[in-house]
Amino acid sequence: MADYRKVAAGRKPFKRAYVAVMLWFVGRAIQATARVDKVVKKEFEALPEEFTFSLGVEPGGPHMIVGKNKKGRVKYMGWEPEGKHIDLKMEIKNLEAAILMFTFQESTAIAIARDRMIVDGEVSYACTVVRVLDIVEVYLLPRLIARLAVKRYPLWSFRHKYIGRARIYFRSILGY
Amino acid sequence: MFLPDNYEFYCPVKTNSGNRALEHIPIDLDALSSRKPLIVTSKDVAGKGAVKKIVNAFKDSGITVGIFDAVPDVPDIKFIEEVSNIYRNKEHDSIVALGGGPIVDVAKIMNIAVSYNIQGLKELAGDDLIINPLGPFVLVPTLSGTGYETSRFAKIENLTFSSHFLMPDLVVIDPRMIKAEDSQIVVATAMTALTHSAEAYTCPAKNPLTDTYAYAAIQYIAENLVNVIEESKDKEGRLALANAAAMAGCALSNTAVDIVHTLGEVVGDMFDLPNGICMGILLPYGLEYSSNKNGYHTADLLLPLAGFDEYAKTSENLRARVAINMITEMQHDLYDATRGEIPRTLEEAEVPRYMLQDIAEKAVSCGSPKFDFDGYLTVLEHAWEGKPIARN
Repeated sequence: MADYRKVAAGRKPFKRAYVAVMLWFVGRAIQATARVDKVVKKEFEALPEEFTFSLGVEPGGPHMIVGKNKKGRVKYMGWEPEGKHIDLKMEIKNLEAAILMFTFQESTAIAIARDRMIVDGEVSYACTVVRVLDIVEVYLLPRLIARLAVKRYPLWSFRHKYIGRARIYFRSILGY
Repeated sequence: MFLPDNYEFYCPVKTNSGNRALEHIPIDLDALSSRKPLIVTSKDVAGKGAVKKIVNAFKDSGITVGIFDAVPDVPDIKFIEEVSNIYRNKEHDSIVALGGGPIVDVAKIMNIAVSYNIQGLKELAGDDLIINPLGPFVLVPTLSGTGYETSRFAKIENLTFSSHFLMPDLVVIDPRMIKAEDSQIVVATAMTALTHSAEAYTCPAKNPLTDTYAYAAIQYIAENLVNVIEESKDKEGRLALANAAAMAGCALSNTAVDIVHTLGEVVGDMFDLPNGICMGILLPYGLEYSSNKNGYHTADLLLPLAGFDEYAKTSENLRARVAINMITEMQHDLYDATRGEIPRTLEEAEVPRYMLQDIAEKAVSCGSPKFDFDGYLTVLEHAWEGKPIARN
Protein backbone atom coordinates (compact mmCIF):
# COMPACT_ATOMS: atom_id res chain seq x y z
CA MET A 1 0.00 0.00 0.00
CA ALA A 2 3.01 2.28 0.45
CA ASP A 3 3.28 2.48 -3.33
CA TYR A 4 -0.33 3.61 -3.72
CA ARG A 5 -1.54 7.18 -3.49
CA LYS A 6 -4.53 9.25 -4.55
CA VAL A 7 -4.11 12.54 -6.36
CA ALA A 8 -6.95 15.00 -6.82
CA ALA A 9 -6.81 16.62 -10.23
CA GLY A 10 -5.92 20.29 -9.88
CA ARG A 11 -7.14 23.19 -11.93
CA LYS A 12 -5.82 25.48 -14.65
CA PRO A 13 -7.37 28.82 -13.66
CA PHE A 14 -5.35 31.05 -16.00
CA LYS A 15 -5.98 28.99 -19.10
CA ARG A 16 -9.65 28.70 -18.18
CA ALA A 17 -9.89 32.48 -17.68
CA TYR A 18 -8.18 33.11 -21.04
CA VAL A 19 -10.60 30.81 -22.87
CA ALA A 20 -13.56 32.39 -21.02
CA VAL A 21 -12.51 35.88 -22.16
CA MET A 22 -11.98 34.68 -25.74
CA LEU A 23 -15.39 33.00 -25.83
CA TRP A 24 -17.03 36.11 -24.39
CA PHE A 25 -15.42 38.33 -27.00
CA VAL A 26 -15.99 35.97 -29.93
CA GLY A 27 -19.65 35.63 -28.88
CA ARG A 28 -20.10 39.40 -28.97
CA ALA A 29 -18.13 39.55 -32.23
CA ILE A 30 -20.50 37.03 -33.84
CA GLN A 31 -23.41 39.26 -32.86
CA ALA A 32 -21.61 42.27 -34.33
CA THR A 33 -20.54 40.48 -37.52
CA ALA A 34 -24.11 39.33 -38.17
CA ARG A 35 -25.03 43.04 -38.37
CA VAL A 36 -22.04 44.10 -40.49
CA ASP A 37 -21.26 41.22 -42.87
CA LYS A 38 -23.79 40.16 -45.52
CA VAL A 39 -22.51 36.60 -45.76
CA VAL A 40 -22.79 35.98 -42.02
CA LYS A 41 -26.21 37.61 -41.99
CA LYS A 42 -27.34 35.27 -44.76
CA GLU A 43 -25.89 32.23 -42.97
CA PHE A 44 -27.97 33.06 -39.86
CA GLU A 45 -31.08 33.75 -41.94
CA ALA A 46 -30.87 30.18 -43.26
CA LEU A 47 -31.01 28.79 -39.71
CA PRO A 48 -34.38 28.00 -38.05
CA GLU A 49 -36.25 30.65 -36.07
CA GLU A 50 -34.90 31.26 -32.57
CA PHE A 51 -31.98 28.94 -33.34
CA THR A 52 -29.46 28.93 -30.49
CA PHE A 53 -26.05 27.34 -30.27
CA SER A 54 -23.38 27.04 -27.60
CA LEU A 55 -19.65 26.64 -27.94
CA GLY A 56 -17.92 25.52 -24.76
CA VAL A 57 -15.26 23.44 -23.10
CA GLU A 58 -15.75 20.07 -21.39
CA PRO A 59 -16.17 19.55 -18.52
CA GLY A 60 -18.04 22.43 -16.97
CA GLY A 61 -17.35 25.30 -19.33
CA PRO A 62 -16.69 28.11 -20.00
CA HIS A 63 -19.33 28.54 -22.70
CA MET A 64 -20.67 31.14 -25.05
CA ILE A 65 -24.27 31.06 -26.20
CA VAL A 66 -25.36 32.78 -29.39
CA GLY A 67 -28.77 32.65 -31.00
CA LYS A 68 -31.52 34.39 -32.90
CA ASN A 69 -34.18 36.19 -30.91
CA LYS A 70 -37.87 36.33 -31.79
CA LYS A 71 -37.19 39.18 -34.20
CA GLY A 72 -34.52 37.13 -35.96
CA ARG A 73 -31.67 39.27 -34.68
CA VAL A 74 -28.48 37.48 -33.72
CA LYS A 75 -27.65 37.99 -30.04
CA TYR A 76 -24.85 36.95 -27.73
CA MET A 77 -26.81 35.30 -24.90
CA GLY A 78 -24.14 34.98 -22.21
CA TRP A 79 -22.01 32.16 -20.85
CA GLU A 80 -24.56 30.19 -18.83
CA PRO A 81 -26.14 27.33 -20.84
CA GLU A 82 -28.32 26.28 -17.89
CA GLY A 83 -32.00 27.00 -18.38
CA LYS A 84 -31.63 27.88 -22.07
CA HIS A 85 -32.98 25.88 -24.96
CA ILE A 86 -29.96 25.11 -27.11
CA ASP A 87 -30.39 23.56 -30.56
CA LEU A 88 -26.74 22.89 -31.23
CA LYS A 89 -24.07 22.17 -28.62
CA MET A 90 -20.46 22.29 -29.72
CA GLU A 91 -18.16 21.14 -26.94
CA ILE A 92 -14.38 21.24 -27.10
CA LYS A 93 -13.24 18.03 -25.41
CA ASN A 94 -10.84 19.65 -22.95
CA LEU A 95 -9.20 22.90 -21.96
CA GLU A 96 -5.91 22.17 -23.75
CA ALA A 97 -7.76 21.61 -27.01
CA ALA A 98 -9.55 24.95 -26.44
CA ILE A 99 -6.18 26.63 -25.87
CA LEU A 100 -4.92 25.22 -29.18
CA MET A 101 -7.97 26.73 -30.89
CA PHE A 102 -7.98 30.08 -29.14
CA THR A 103 -4.25 30.62 -29.51
CA PHE A 104 -4.84 29.91 -33.21
CA GLN A 105 -2.50 26.94 -33.36
CA GLU A 106 -5.42 24.96 -34.76
CA SER A 107 -8.29 26.22 -36.88
CA THR A 108 -11.85 25.27 -35.97
CA ALA A 109 -12.04 22.99 -39.00
CA ILE A 110 -8.76 21.26 -38.08
CA ALA A 111 -9.88 20.89 -34.45
CA ILE A 112 -13.02 19.12 -35.65
CA ALA A 113 -10.99 16.98 -38.08
CA ARG A 114 -8.71 15.99 -35.19
CA ASP A 115 -11.66 14.91 -33.08
CA ARG A 116 -11.20 17.64 -30.51
CA MET A 117 -14.88 18.59 -30.49
CA ILE A 118 -18.20 16.94 -29.84
CA VAL A 119 -21.20 18.13 -31.79
CA ASP A 120 -24.63 17.53 -30.31
CA GLY A 121 -27.18 18.58 -32.91
CA GLU A 122 -27.53 18.90 -36.67
CA VAL A 123 -24.17 18.58 -38.39
CA SER A 124 -25.27 20.98 -41.16
CA TYR A 125 -25.93 23.68 -38.52
CA ALA A 126 -22.48 22.99 -37.03
CA CYS A 127 -20.96 23.53 -40.48
CA THR A 128 -22.75 26.89 -40.65
CA VAL A 129 -21.32 27.87 -37.25
CA VAL A 130 -17.80 26.87 -38.35
CA ARG A 131 -18.14 29.01 -41.51
CA VAL A 132 -19.36 31.93 -39.40
CA LEU A 133 -16.48 31.51 -36.94
CA ASP A 134 -14.01 31.54 -39.85
CA ILE A 135 -15.38 34.86 -41.11
CA VAL A 136 -15.40 36.37 -37.61
CA GLU A 137 -11.77 35.35 -37.11
CA VAL A 138 -10.76 36.98 -40.40
CA TYR A 139 -12.32 40.24 -39.18
CA LEU A 140 -10.83 40.06 -35.69
CA LEU A 141 -7.31 38.86 -36.36
CA PRO A 142 -4.36 40.16 -38.34
CA ARG A 143 -3.78 38.25 -41.59
CA LEU A 144 -0.70 36.45 -40.25
CA ILE A 145 -2.65 34.86 -37.38
CA ALA A 146 -5.99 34.52 -39.16
CA ARG A 147 -4.35 32.42 -41.89
CA LEU A 148 -3.56 29.84 -39.21
CA ALA A 149 -7.05 29.96 -37.78
CA VAL A 150 -9.20 29.67 -40.92
CA LYS A 151 -9.51 27.12 -43.65
CA ARG A 152 -8.80 29.55 -46.50
CA TYR A 153 -8.03 33.24 -46.12
CA PRO A 154 -10.53 35.20 -48.27
CA LEU A 155 -9.66 37.81 -50.88
CA TRP A 156 -11.49 40.87 -49.58
CA SER A 157 -11.16 44.49 -50.63
CA PHE A 158 -9.39 46.92 -48.32
CA ARG A 159 -12.67 48.64 -47.53
CA HIS A 160 -14.52 45.39 -46.85
CA LYS A 161 -11.89 44.13 -44.44
CA TYR A 162 -10.68 47.18 -42.56
CA ILE A 163 -13.89 49.19 -42.34
CA GLY A 164 -15.71 45.98 -41.42
CA ARG A 165 -13.08 45.18 -38.80
CA ALA A 166 -13.37 48.63 -37.22
CA ARG A 167 -17.17 48.39 -37.10
CA ILE A 168 -17.08 44.87 -35.62
CA TYR A 169 -14.53 45.78 -32.93
CA PHE A 170 -16.53 48.91 -32.08
CA ARG A 171 -19.81 46.97 -31.82
CA SER A 172 -18.20 44.06 -29.93
CA ILE A 173 -16.72 46.32 -27.29
CA LEU A 174 -19.95 48.26 -26.85
CA GLY A 175 -22.03 45.10 -27.13
CA TYR A 176 -24.61 45.98 -29.77
CA MET B 1 -6.46 -8.42 -55.14
CA PHE B 2 -6.34 -10.81 -52.20
CA LEU B 3 -9.65 -11.84 -50.66
CA PRO B 4 -9.62 -14.92 -48.39
CA ASP B 5 -12.47 -17.41 -48.65
CA ASN B 6 -13.29 -16.67 -45.05
CA TYR B 7 -11.86 -14.38 -42.40
CA GLU B 8 -12.66 -12.75 -39.06
CA PHE B 9 -11.39 -9.44 -37.79
CA TYR B 10 -12.06 -7.79 -34.47
CA CYS B 11 -10.38 -4.67 -33.12
CA PRO B 12 -12.04 -2.73 -30.29
CA VAL B 13 -9.01 -0.46 -29.76
CA LYS B 14 -9.60 3.27 -30.06
CA THR B 15 -6.34 5.07 -30.79
CA ASN B 16 -5.74 8.67 -29.89
CA SER B 17 -2.35 9.82 -31.14
CA GLY B 18 -0.62 13.16 -31.37
CA ASN B 19 -0.35 16.60 -29.85
CA ARG B 20 -2.18 16.91 -26.49
CA ALA B 21 -3.60 13.38 -26.82
CA LEU B 22 -3.24 12.82 -23.06
CA GLU B 23 -5.77 15.52 -22.28
CA HIS B 24 -8.47 13.50 -24.06
CA ILE B 25 -8.25 10.69 -21.49
CA PRO B 26 -10.81 12.13 -19.00
CA ILE B 27 -13.55 12.53 -21.61
CA ASP B 28 -12.78 9.13 -23.12
CA LEU B 29 -12.93 7.55 -19.65
CA ASP B 30 -16.24 9.30 -19.14
CA ALA B 31 -17.48 7.65 -22.35
CA LEU B 32 -16.43 4.32 -20.79
CA SER B 33 -18.48 5.22 -17.67
CA SER B 34 -15.37 5.58 -15.56
CA ARG B 35 -14.66 8.28 -12.97
CA LYS B 36 -12.08 6.59 -10.73
CA PRO B 37 -9.11 5.38 -12.75
CA LEU B 38 -6.10 3.62 -11.26
CA ILE B 39 -2.80 4.44 -12.97
CA VAL B 40 -0.50 1.43 -12.93
CA THR B 41 3.19 1.96 -13.64
CA SER B 42 6.72 1.30 -12.43
CA LYS B 43 9.16 3.33 -10.33
CA ASP B 44 11.36 3.70 -13.40
CA VAL B 45 8.59 5.25 -15.54
CA ALA B 46 7.37 7.39 -12.63
CA GLY B 47 10.92 8.63 -12.08
CA LYS B 48 11.04 9.99 -15.63
CA GLY B 49 8.16 12.37 -14.95
CA ALA B 50 5.51 10.43 -16.85
CA VAL B 51 3.13 10.25 -13.86
CA LYS B 52 3.28 13.99 -13.36
CA LYS B 53 2.38 14.57 -17.02
CA ILE B 54 -0.57 12.22 -16.96
CA VAL B 55 -1.88 13.70 -13.68
CA ASN B 56 -1.62 17.16 -15.29
CA ALA B 57 -3.77 15.87 -18.13
CA PHE B 58 -6.56 15.21 -15.60
CA LYS B 59 -6.53 18.81 -14.36
CA ASP B 60 -9.90 20.54 -14.60
CA SER B 61 -11.63 17.18 -15.08
CA GLY B 62 -12.69 16.88 -11.44
CA ILE B 63 -11.37 13.33 -11.39
CA THR B 64 -9.28 11.94 -8.53
CA VAL B 65 -6.80 9.39 -9.80
CA GLY B 66 -5.16 6.55 -7.91
CA ILE B 67 -1.51 5.85 -8.65
CA PHE B 68 0.28 2.58 -8.10
CA ASP B 69 3.90 2.89 -9.22
CA ALA B 70 5.67 -0.26 -8.11
CA VAL B 71 5.33 -2.79 -10.94
CA PRO B 72 8.55 -4.85 -10.86
CA ASP B 73 10.48 -6.03 -13.95
CA VAL B 74 9.36 -9.61 -13.30
CA PRO B 75 5.91 -9.59 -11.67
CA ASP B 76 4.15 -12.75 -10.52
CA ILE B 77 0.57 -13.85 -9.88
CA LYS B 78 0.82 -13.00 -6.17
CA PHE B 79 1.75 -9.43 -7.07
CA ILE B 80 -1.25 -9.18 -9.42
CA GLU B 81 -3.53 -10.30 -6.60
CA GLU B 82 -2.10 -7.64 -4.28
CA VAL B 83 -2.63 -4.83 -6.80
CA SER B 84 -6.10 -6.16 -7.60
CA ASN B 85 -6.98 -5.91 -3.90
CA ILE B 86 -5.88 -2.27 -3.86
CA TYR B 87 -8.09 -1.66 -6.89
CA ARG B 88 -11.08 -3.23 -5.17
CA ASN B 89 -10.51 -1.67 -1.75
CA LYS B 90 -10.09 1.82 -3.19
CA GLU B 91 -13.15 1.30 -5.43
CA HIS B 92 -11.49 2.14 -8.74
CA ASP B 93 -13.44 1.53 -11.91
CA SER B 94 -10.81 1.53 -14.67
CA ILE B 95 -7.11 0.85 -15.26
CA VAL B 96 -4.65 3.15 -17.01
CA ALA B 97 -1.41 1.33 -17.81
CA LEU B 98 1.43 3.80 -18.11
CA GLY B 99 4.48 2.27 -19.80
CA GLY B 100 5.14 -1.00 -21.60
CA GLY B 101 6.27 -4.59 -21.10
CA PRO B 102 5.47 -6.01 -17.65
CA ILE B 103 3.35 -2.95 -16.73
CA VAL B 104 0.91 -3.77 -19.52
CA ASP B 105 0.91 -7.47 -18.67
CA VAL B 106 0.12 -6.62 -15.04
CA ALA B 107 -2.65 -4.21 -16.08
CA LYS B 108 -4.26 -6.72 -18.45
CA ILE B 109 -4.19 -9.64 -16.04
CA MET B 110 -5.28 -7.42 -13.17
CA ASN B 111 -8.24 -6.40 -15.32
CA ILE B 112 -9.22 -10.07 -15.55
CA ALA B 113 -8.92 -10.45 -11.76
CA VAL B 114 -11.02 -7.40 -10.90
CA SER B 115 -13.60 -7.90 -13.67
CA TYR B 116 -14.14 -11.58 -12.95
CA ASN B 117 -13.62 -10.94 -9.24
CA ILE B 118 -11.84 -14.25 -8.79
CA GLN B 119 -8.68 -15.40 -7.05
CA GLY B 120 -7.77 -18.39 -9.23
CA LEU B 121 -6.40 -16.54 -12.23
CA LYS B 122 -4.54 -19.56 -13.53
CA GLU B 123 -7.85 -21.15 -14.54
CA LEU B 124 -8.31 -18.43 -17.16
CA ALA B 125 -4.85 -18.77 -18.72
CA GLY B 126 -5.05 -20.16 -22.24
CA ASP B 127 -6.78 -19.33 -25.47
CA ASP B 128 -10.18 -17.62 -25.37
CA LEU B 129 -11.12 -18.70 -21.86
CA ILE B 130 -12.06 -15.11 -21.04
CA ILE B 131 -15.47 -14.87 -22.61
CA ASN B 132 -16.95 -11.75 -21.00
CA PRO B 133 -15.98 -8.11 -21.50
CA LEU B 134 -13.56 -6.73 -18.91
CA GLY B 135 -13.47 -3.32 -17.21
CA PRO B 136 -12.29 -0.15 -18.99
CA PHE B 137 -8.60 -0.35 -19.83
CA VAL B 138 -6.50 2.51 -21.18
CA LEU B 139 -2.92 2.17 -22.37
CA VAL B 140 -0.45 5.05 -22.45
CA PRO B 141 2.85 3.80 -23.88
CA THR B 142 6.05 5.56 -22.85
CA LEU B 143 8.32 3.96 -25.39
CA SER B 144 7.97 2.79 -28.95
CA GLY B 145 6.59 -0.62 -27.89
CA THR B 146 6.51 -4.08 -29.41
CA GLY B 147 2.87 -4.42 -30.36
CA TYR B 148 2.20 -6.87 -27.53
CA GLU B 149 0.73 -3.96 -25.57
CA THR B 150 -2.30 -3.55 -27.84
CA SER B 151 -2.57 -7.24 -28.61
CA ARG B 152 -4.91 -9.89 -27.23
CA PHE B 153 -2.06 -11.47 -25.27
CA ALA B 154 -0.75 -11.10 -21.72
CA LYS B 155 1.98 -13.11 -20.03
CA ILE B 156 2.96 -13.72 -16.46
CA GLU B 157 5.23 -16.37 -15.03
CA ASN B 158 4.79 -19.23 -17.51
CA LEU B 159 1.13 -18.42 -18.22
CA THR B 160 -0.19 -16.85 -21.41
CA PHE B 161 -3.66 -15.32 -21.46
CA SER B 162 -5.23 -14.80 -24.87
CA SER B 163 -8.55 -13.11 -25.50
CA HIS B 164 -9.84 -10.20 -27.56
CA PHE B 165 -11.19 -8.77 -24.31
CA LEU B 166 -7.61 -8.14 -23.20
CA MET B 167 -7.10 -5.55 -25.93
CA PRO B 168 -7.19 -2.01 -24.55
CA ASP B 169 -10.29 0.12 -25.02
CA LEU B 170 -8.10 3.14 -25.66
CA VAL B 171 -4.46 3.68 -26.60
CA VAL B 172 -3.13 7.20 -26.07
CA ILE B 173 0.11 7.96 -27.89
CA ASP B 174 1.34 11.40 -26.91
CA PRO B 175 4.73 12.70 -28.11
CA ARG B 176 5.41 14.10 -24.63
CA MET B 177 5.37 10.58 -23.23
CA ILE B 178 7.49 8.84 -25.87
CA LYS B 179 11.00 9.56 -24.66
CA ALA B 180 14.33 8.80 -26.28
CA GLU B 181 15.46 5.42 -25.03
CA ASP B 182 18.59 3.35 -25.24
CA SER B 183 19.25 2.27 -28.87
CA GLN B 184 19.01 -1.40 -28.03
CA ILE B 185 15.56 -0.98 -26.47
CA VAL B 186 14.29 1.04 -29.45
CA VAL B 187 15.62 -1.51 -31.97
CA ALA B 188 14.36 -4.48 -29.95
CA THR B 189 10.84 -3.07 -29.62
CA ALA B 190 10.64 -1.85 -33.22
CA MET B 191 11.96 -5.13 -34.61
CA THR B 192 9.37 -7.05 -32.59
CA ALA B 193 6.68 -4.78 -34.02
CA LEU B 194 8.14 -5.22 -37.53
CA THR B 195 8.14 -9.00 -37.06
CA HIS B 196 4.53 -8.99 -35.88
CA SER B 197 3.42 -6.84 -38.80
CA ALA B 198 5.55 -8.53 -41.51
CA GLU B 199 4.37 -11.96 -40.38
CA ALA B 200 0.77 -10.73 -40.22
CA TYR B 201 1.20 -9.36 -43.77
CA THR B 202 2.54 -12.63 -45.18
CA CYS B 203 0.95 -15.41 -43.12
CA PRO B 204 -1.98 -17.57 -44.28
CA ALA B 205 -4.30 -15.94 -41.70
CA LYS B 206 -3.90 -12.50 -43.30
CA ASN B 207 -6.97 -10.62 -44.45
CA PRO B 208 -7.66 -7.18 -45.94
CA LEU B 209 -8.08 -5.56 -42.52
CA THR B 210 -4.95 -7.03 -40.90
CA ASP B 211 -3.16 -5.93 -44.08
CA THR B 212 -4.22 -2.33 -43.46
CA TYR B 213 -2.78 -2.28 -39.94
CA ALA B 214 0.34 -4.24 -40.89
CA TYR B 215 1.01 -2.12 -43.99
CA ALA B 216 1.04 1.14 -42.03
CA ALA B 217 3.17 -0.37 -39.25
CA ILE B 218 5.78 -1.71 -41.70
CA GLN B 219 5.88 1.60 -43.56
CA TYR B 220 6.36 3.64 -40.35
CA ILE B 221 9.14 1.36 -39.09
CA ALA B 222 10.94 1.21 -42.44
CA GLU B 223 10.83 4.99 -42.80
CA ASN B 224 11.79 5.91 -39.26
CA LEU B 225 13.72 3.29 -37.31
CA VAL B 226 17.25 3.95 -38.59
CA ASN B 227 16.73 7.70 -38.40
CA VAL B 228 15.48 7.50 -34.79
CA ILE B 229 18.65 5.60 -33.85
CA GLU B 230 20.92 8.03 -35.73
CA GLU B 231 19.08 11.15 -34.60
CA SER B 232 17.88 10.89 -31.00
CA LYS B 233 15.91 14.16 -31.30
CA ASP B 234 13.61 12.73 -33.98
CA LYS B 235 10.36 13.12 -32.00
CA GLU B 236 8.17 12.56 -35.03
CA GLY B 237 10.02 9.33 -35.80
CA ARG B 238 9.53 8.07 -32.25
CA LEU B 239 5.83 8.89 -32.45
CA ALA B 240 5.63 6.97 -35.75
CA LEU B 241 7.30 3.94 -34.13
CA ALA B 242 4.86 4.04 -31.20
CA ASN B 243 1.96 4.15 -33.66
CA ALA B 244 3.48 1.28 -35.61
CA ALA B 245 3.68 -0.82 -32.44
CA ALA B 246 0.01 -0.16 -31.63
CA MET B 247 -1.02 -1.15 -35.17
CA ALA B 248 1.21 -4.22 -35.18
CA GLY B 249 -0.54 -5.42 -32.02
CA CYS B 250 -3.96 -5.09 -33.67
CA ALA B 251 -2.71 -7.02 -36.72
CA LEU B 252 -1.11 -9.69 -34.52
CA SER B 253 -4.33 -10.14 -32.53
CA ASN B 254 -6.17 -11.13 -35.71
CA THR B 255 -3.55 -13.41 -37.27
CA ALA B 256 -1.12 -15.76 -35.57
CA VAL B 257 2.50 -15.69 -34.49
CA ASP B 258 4.82 -17.27 -37.03
CA ILE B 259 8.29 -18.75 -37.32
CA VAL B 260 10.32 -15.60 -36.55
CA HIS B 261 8.32 -14.70 -33.47
CA THR B 262 8.63 -18.24 -32.10
CA LEU B 263 12.37 -18.55 -32.76
CA GLY B 264 13.09 -15.01 -31.54
CA GLU B 265 11.46 -15.75 -28.20
CA VAL B 266 13.21 -19.10 -27.80
CA VAL B 267 16.67 -17.71 -28.68
CA GLY B 268 16.13 -14.64 -26.48
CA ASP B 269 15.00 -16.66 -23.49
CA MET B 270 17.78 -19.27 -23.83
CA PHE B 271 20.63 -16.78 -24.18
CA ASP B 272 19.27 -13.84 -22.19
CA LEU B 273 19.08 -11.60 -25.25
CA PRO B 274 16.27 -9.11 -26.00
CA ASN B 275 13.67 -11.06 -27.98
CA GLY B 276 13.27 -8.20 -30.46
CA ILE B 277 16.99 -8.17 -31.30
CA CYS B 278 16.78 -11.89 -32.04
CA MET B 279 13.63 -11.39 -34.14
CA GLY B 280 15.43 -8.66 -36.12
CA ILE B 281 18.29 -11.06 -36.92
CA LEU B 282 15.92 -13.90 -37.83
CA LEU B 283 13.32 -11.91 -39.78
CA PRO B 284 14.92 -11.95 -43.27
CA TYR B 285 15.62 -15.68 -43.03
CA GLY B 286 12.20 -16.51 -41.60
CA LEU B 287 10.53 -14.58 -44.40
CA GLU B 288 12.75 -16.31 -46.97
CA TYR B 289 11.83 -19.68 -45.55
CA SER B 290 8.12 -18.86 -45.51
CA SER B 291 8.27 -17.46 -49.03
CA ASN B 292 9.85 -20.72 -50.18
CA LYS B 293 6.95 -22.56 -48.60
CA ASN B 294 3.95 -20.37 -49.41
CA GLY B 295 5.52 -17.50 -51.19
CA TYR B 296 3.44 -15.00 -53.04
CA HIS B 297 2.67 -12.57 -50.19
CA THR B 298 6.31 -11.86 -49.35
CA ALA B 299 6.64 -9.93 -52.62
CA ASP B 300 3.91 -7.55 -51.44
CA LEU B 301 6.09 -6.54 -48.49
CA LEU B 302 8.13 -4.43 -50.88
CA LEU B 303 5.35 -1.87 -51.19
CA PRO B 304 5.27 -0.73 -47.53
CA LEU B 305 9.02 -1.23 -47.17
CA ALA B 306 10.15 0.71 -50.22
CA GLY B 307 7.21 2.73 -51.52
CA PHE B 308 5.41 2.88 -54.86
CA ASP B 309 8.35 3.88 -57.07
CA GLU B 310 10.64 1.03 -56.00
CA TYR B 311 7.75 -1.45 -56.07
CA ALA B 312 6.71 -0.41 -59.59
CA LYS B 313 10.18 -0.58 -61.06
CA THR B 314 10.96 -4.01 -59.55
CA SER B 315 9.84 -6.95 -61.66
CA GLU B 316 7.27 -9.21 -60.04
CA ASN B 317 9.57 -12.22 -59.60
CA LEU B 318 12.22 -10.12 -57.83
CA ARG B 319 10.00 -8.29 -55.34
CA ALA B 320 10.23 -10.86 -52.55
CA ARG B 321 14.03 -10.97 -52.84
CA VAL B 322 14.34 -7.16 -52.87
CA ALA B 323 11.97 -6.82 -49.87
CA ILE B 324 13.99 -9.32 -47.84
CA ASN B 325 17.23 -7.59 -48.87
CA MET B 326 15.81 -4.30 -47.62
CA ILE B 327 15.25 -5.78 -44.15
CA THR B 328 18.80 -7.17 -44.19
CA GLU B 329 20.08 -3.73 -45.21
CA MET B 330 18.11 -2.17 -42.37
CA GLN B 331 19.88 -4.55 -39.99
CA HIS B 332 23.25 -3.48 -41.43
CA ASP B 333 22.32 0.22 -41.11
CA LEU B 334 21.35 -0.34 -37.48
CA TYR B 335 24.65 -2.16 -36.88
CA ASP B 336 26.53 0.83 -38.32
CA ALA B 337 24.40 3.43 -36.52
CA THR B 338 25.00 1.74 -33.16
CA ARG B 339 28.68 0.98 -33.90
CA GLY B 340 28.15 -2.74 -33.74
CA GLU B 341 25.83 -2.77 -30.74
CA ILE B 342 23.03 -4.40 -32.75
CA PRO B 343 24.14 -7.80 -34.04
CA ARG B 344 23.38 -8.80 -37.65
CA THR B 345 23.75 -12.55 -37.23
CA LEU B 346 23.30 -15.09 -34.47
CA GLU B 347 27.08 -15.50 -34.51
CA GLU B 348 27.51 -11.81 -33.69
CA ALA B 349 24.89 -12.23 -30.96
CA GLU B 350 27.22 -14.87 -29.49
CA VAL B 351 24.77 -17.74 -29.87
CA PRO B 352 26.95 -20.89 -30.04
CA ARG B 353 26.49 -22.80 -33.30
CA TYR B 354 26.38 -26.13 -31.51
CA MET B 355 23.22 -24.98 -29.70
CA LEU B 356 21.17 -24.45 -32.86
CA GLN B 357 19.70 -27.95 -32.74
CA ASP B 358 18.62 -27.44 -29.13
CA ILE B 359 16.94 -24.17 -30.08
CA ALA B 360 15.12 -25.85 -32.97
CA GLU B 361 13.93 -28.65 -30.69
CA LYS B 362 12.59 -26.18 -28.16
CA ALA B 363 10.88 -24.21 -30.91
CA VAL B 364 9.15 -27.39 -32.11
CA SER B 365 7.80 -27.96 -28.61
CA CYS B 366 6.31 -24.47 -28.24
CA GLY B 367 5.86 -23.17 -31.79
CA SER B 368 3.34 -23.48 -34.56
CA PRO B 369 2.73 -26.97 -35.95
CA LYS B 370 3.19 -25.43 -39.41
CA PHE B 371 6.94 -25.66 -38.99
CA ASP B 372 9.02 -28.74 -38.26
CA PHE B 373 12.47 -29.23 -36.78
CA ASP B 374 14.17 -28.97 -40.18
CA GLY B 375 12.39 -25.72 -40.92
CA TYR B 376 13.48 -24.10 -37.67
CA LEU B 377 17.03 -25.39 -38.06
CA THR B 378 17.31 -24.11 -41.64
CA VAL B 379 16.33 -20.61 -40.55
CA LEU B 380 18.66 -20.73 -37.54
CA GLU B 381 21.67 -21.91 -39.53
CA HIS B 382 21.28 -19.25 -42.18
CA ALA B 383 20.69 -16.56 -39.55
CA TRP B 384 23.81 -17.72 -37.74
CA GLU B 385 25.94 -17.35 -40.86
CA GLY B 386 24.07 -14.40 -42.34
CA LYS B 387 23.65 -16.34 -45.58
CA PRO B 388 20.44 -16.16 -47.66
CA ILE B 389 18.35 -19.31 -48.08
CA ALA B 390 18.39 -20.54 -51.68
CA ARG B 391 14.91 -20.52 -53.26
CA ASN B 392 13.58 -23.93 -54.25
